[in-house]
Amino acid sequence: MNVARQILALTAVGLRSVPHRRGNSAVIVIGSTCVVAVLLSVLAMATGFERTIQADARPDRVLVITNGMDTEGSSSLSRENVDVIQAAPGIKRDSAGKAMVSAEVVLVAPVVRRNGADAYLTLRGSGEQLMQVRSELRLVAGRMFRPGLHELVIGQAAQQQFRGLDLGKVIRLYDGDWTIVGMFAAGDSVRESEAIADATTVMTAYQLSAYNSTTALLTSESSFAIFSQALQRDPSLKVSVMREPDYLAMVSGYVHRWLKSVAYLIGGIMGIGALFGALNTMYSAMASRQSEIATLRALGFSPAAIVISIVLEAVLLSLVGAFVGIGMAYTAFNGQAINTLGGSLWDTQVVYTLSVSLPLVLLAIALVGSIGILGGLLPAIRSIRSTIADALRVP
Amino acid sequence: MNSFTLAWANLWRKPVRTVLTALSIAMAFLLIGLLQGVNAGFSEAIAKARRDVLTTDPRLRGSPPMPIAMMEQIRKVPGVADVAPRSYFMGDYRTPYTIAAIATLPRTWFKLRRQFRVEESALQAMQRTRNGMLVTPALMKQFGWKVGDQLTLRSRELKADGSGDWSFEIVGVFEALIDPDNAFFTLIDYSYLDEARITNRGTVDRFFVRITDPERSIATATAIDALFTNSSHQTRTRSDQDRAEAESKRMGDIGFFTNAVLGAVLFMMLFLTANVTRQSFQERISEFGVLKALGFSGGACLRLTLAESLSVYLLAAGAGLGLASMLTPFAREIHSAVHVTGAVYLRGMTLALALAIASAAIPCWQAYRLPVAGALSARIS
Repeated sequence: MNVARQILALTAVGLRSVPHRRGNSAVIVIGSTCVVAVLLSVLAMATGFERTIQADARPDRVLVITNGMDTEGSSSLSRENVDVIQAAPGIKRDSAGKAMVSAEVVLVAPVVRRNGADAYLTLRGSGEQLMQVRSELRLVAGRMFRPGLHELVIGQAAQQQFRGLDLGKVIRLYDGDWTIVGMFAAGDSVRESEAIADATTVMTAYQLSAYNSTTALLTSESSFAIFSQALQRDPSLKVSVMREPDYLAMVSGYVHRWLKSVAYLIGGIMGIGALFGALNTMYSAMASRQSEIATLRALGFSPAAIVISIVLEAVLLSLVGAFVGIGMAYTAFNGQAINTLGGSLWDTQVVYTLSVSLPLVLLAIALVGSIGILGGLLPAIRSIRSTIADALRVP
Repeated sequence: MNSFTLAWANLWRKPVRTVLTALSIAMAFLLIGLLQGVNAGFSEAIAKARRDVLTTDPRLRGSPPMPIAMMEQIRKVPGVADVAPRSYFMGDYRTPYTIAAIATLPRTWFKLRRQFRVEESALQAMQRTRNGMLVTPALMKQFGWKVGDQLTLRSRELKADGSGDWSFEIVGVFEALIDPDNAFFTLIDYSYLDEARITNRGTVDRFFVRITDPERSIATATAIDALFTNSSHQTRTRSDQDRAEAESKRMGDIGFFTNAVLGAVLFMMLFLTANVTRQSFQERISEFGVLKALGFSGGACLRLTLAESLSVYLLAAGAGLGLASMLTPFAREIHSAVHVTGAVYLRGMTLALALAIASAAIPCWQAYRLPVAGALSARIS
């Protein structure tokens, strides 16, 4: 019998005896189920968050902010600055020759969470070219706001997550009530967690004289260099120009890294705990099968085949747990919408859906697989170290 | 010989098993300690925050600053003891270093912000020197400044003469009692700033209000906000405690996950240890038979089984929680609010006690009921 066939035969024998060691085997299964379920759900938050932030980010869309500032909120661009930016080369223009540029202000709008706690949404004042610049915006209910009136439109993710943001309802801002006249979808991007109104109207209401940022759509991705250099050369401007994906990665990096490190910390500690559990189980299993294993060796099975079949058994049990855990995390959390800090301003909320993706599933399987290998290997090696005669003599 | 001595001896019957079980329990309680530590950190901040100091801000951030004239109106509200205004001033010191200054009425401000301490002589020097500045020791050290130094900050805030260069004289230091190593800011006189600047003159961005009766903080806050409901400067007045509480709630739905993780860990541990206890009990049924034959009562056998579970659980949980508190400085890199307090230890050990009892419940019962003859004839393993 070659080694491969020996392994197959031995694993089959081992697995058939699993029902006789129900409690012990279930420890491995349940341990890996818990590790996988927890690791996946926390990582699903990180992935969902990143996916939302980067959704619809376009490399041919650029953000202009004050040099040295790292977010829209702390940046400030005067009306003159915006005029200069609009005239720069490389910007896409509509049929009437108007530059596809939106000069924006970002403020906060107070909302109430489902649990009654206060929170803030980003309130974005946008230019009249908004719909050209952000072609992913699509009005799904009501109508667009009219400049000059106290009107705003709200993203559908925000509308679903927070209380009292239905069409026709009002949000109390600095100078009075603003009516929600429309609701928009934005391809699940972070815009859907925002409220948008007319920039000039917002600036008048808040007595602001400067914009925060300017977003421009370029003729193509390769126009970035021309556009950026033109702005850098202009002595009246002190700005930095960033491609949209780069900017979003930069501002959301902190929260994203935070979620990820929490996931790995929790998953790691739980994984080590589960490893000890698996070792325990396999040591007991080996102890109770000592004479059986010795008999197999006496019959001529190779030690390598015995070790491998034991490790395989541990790995298979872990994988059963992993699949249960994946199933639990997937049915309970995949696609569920939650909101946390991480919006366009430092304390505004972003709404996103948890996403249990394939790479995460593979990662979880790899982790649990290694727990199985480690948990099976040490006990397996110990089980073949004693001499056959000694092992057979164990009552 | 009490049951713990015997239990202790029994635990080392299979040392590998006991050590592995203890290690997995310790890991679980390390995680429980850290997760609970996050909640404890928030609750502690909330409990420590004072209720006798309110802050009045514009109702919406981004709104224009509030007129200083509101200070007199707030002072007249019944229950208000003191009011201090605050404006921020930012200026570049030998570009690229930006220095932040709190412009306020220093004497009143220090009475309200107890997390900062200043010497009386420094306050007197501020009164004598119009462009005086108080600096935290950390900032003094960073730039090698000393009391008496003159410095010029270049600000976007322009003075009446059109220049953005503001000169200050360092007249003393003030200490931050919380995290002093990271306190890099200064304090200047509000009237010096306000009389010289051309934009936002006569405005402040926040009022600190001390009230006489902390029990009436909500009523007083409501009374202050009611003053300005119909003005163009609506306000939002909250106690420090409210603000700390809002801070913890803003973390959002993540709190739900903390509890879910805890649930998963507890379930896993309960199952794992219950299995080990069951197994080690079954292997020793005949030993229990001997004990019973020697005259040990059912209760004594029950206590023995329970004592084994308790000693492993409590020792390992204590080690795990201790590890959590040792790892707190690293955990703070990820979440600044982690604090493994006495309450966390207490809750952790209570959980350990509950888990120890729950995981040993069935073997305990079996040990209690075990018939001597049947046990003695059980297969010796």
